[in-house]
Amino acid sequence: MIALLVLAKDLKLHARDARFLATLALFALSLVLILSVAFGPLFQDPTREASATLWAALFFAGVLGLTRALDLETESGGGEALRLAGADPFLVYAGKAAANFLLLAALFVLLLPCAAVFFDVGSLSVAPGVAGVAALALIGYAAWGTLFAALARGLKARELLLSILLFPTLIPLWIGAVKLTRSLWAEGSIDPVRDWVKIMIVVDSMGIALAAWLYESIQEAEE
Amino acid sequence: MILAARDIRKRFEDRIVLRGASLELHPGEIVLLGGRNGSGKTTFARILATSLGPDAGTVTLDGRPVRQALRESRRSIGFSTHRPLLYLGLTPLENLEFFGKLAGVADAGSRATQLLSSFGLEEFAGTGMEHFSRGMLQRVSLSRALLPEPRVLVLDEPYAGLDEQGTQTLNALLLEAKGRGAATLLVSHDRERVPPGITRVCALRDGAIEAAG
Repeated sequence: MIALLVLAKDLKLHARDARFLATLALFALSLVLILSVAFGPLFQDPTREASATLWAALFFAGVLGLTRALDLETESGGGEALRLAGADPFLVYAGKAAANFLLLAALFVLLLPCAAVFFDVGSLSVAPGVAGVAALALIGYAAWGTLFAALARGLKARELLLSILLFPTLIPLWIGAVKLTRSLWAEGSIDPVRDWVKIMIVVDSMGIALAAWLYESIQEAEE
Repeated sequence: MILAARDIRKRFEDRIVLRGASLELHPGEIVLLGGRNGSGKTTFARILATSLGPDAGTVTLDGRPVRQALRESRRSIGFSTHRPLLYLGLTPLENLEFFGKLAGVADAGSRATQLLSSFGLEEFAGTGMEHFSRGMLQRVSLSRALLPEPRVLVLDEPYAGLDEQGTQTLNALLLEAKGRGAATLLVSHDRERVPPGITRVCALRDGAIEAAG
């Protein structure tokens, strides 16, 4: 119930921030467009270039989304009121992570057809597989991103710290996402790089486990 | 006694703000805490409300240190301060419903509507708060603190930005809380605006609390 309340609240805040959503979408689409122009028009390995472009755009636009979610918590003390409400911190974390996941998933849904069209890759038959890869990558992104956002909340250079913490942590997820997506588009299956699924599951689980263990302490340590 | 702070000490870098401040709040009390600007009133209020941890000393609720039962303690304490502690992207009603439901208030929606109506905000209940005045935000913020009918209220400068009608409404609600046995700490310079039922007046001087008559 608490997680759902927090999720609904965060989604409502994002949905009403039309200017931010437009900026986020434009930024992500511009990245895909610029990279497709840079690699093209005669692509050497379109599946490799398309998957790298898709995940690079998602990664950088995602940081923008997480930073905005962080600002919404801090700008008028809403996050502090949430902390003082006496709700279970892990449920609050779960609600916020779910909202971040849905924001990233919406971005993915926007970028995937663009990348597929610009690079002329993919087919509908592998779409469920690509969606599964996205779920693995974005669960980890949201899990770690929400945790690091809480860690950075009380600091002046919070956007910088968020990026510094996120980039190295998410490297295994991103390499895995690029390799699995490319394999699906090129081979129609993930068999050649199947081990990356296990690595991504481990990274996702570590993020969630660490949040379950540390989120409350991080929330309290900000003062 | 419901809430007790004993020998609270706090410093920010080189500046010592609290040097052993102690205060007890009993059921049905309204205590007024004054003091000069920068005397540490807000810091003390935040420590009582568990928004900030002390460097030394303890805050207890019903004899139990609040840090040992943080969630339960927070559900018993209503807090408002200089910042609105609200989400400006939500409407006043949505904010109050959200925080009310988090606090486990069964009829959060109707209680929120009732409080907003008491503060004269019924026509703004469903509008965005980005362009609210300081006084309007203060009314919503006070409604948030009062909504779960907490056993302890810690209100830091609650009259800031309030007009005469807002002051009267707040005082009526404070007397209602006093009637049901809640303990209230009012941190305020405005001795003229506080409700008639004040039971004690204290002041923070040199980092400690003194009775001020």
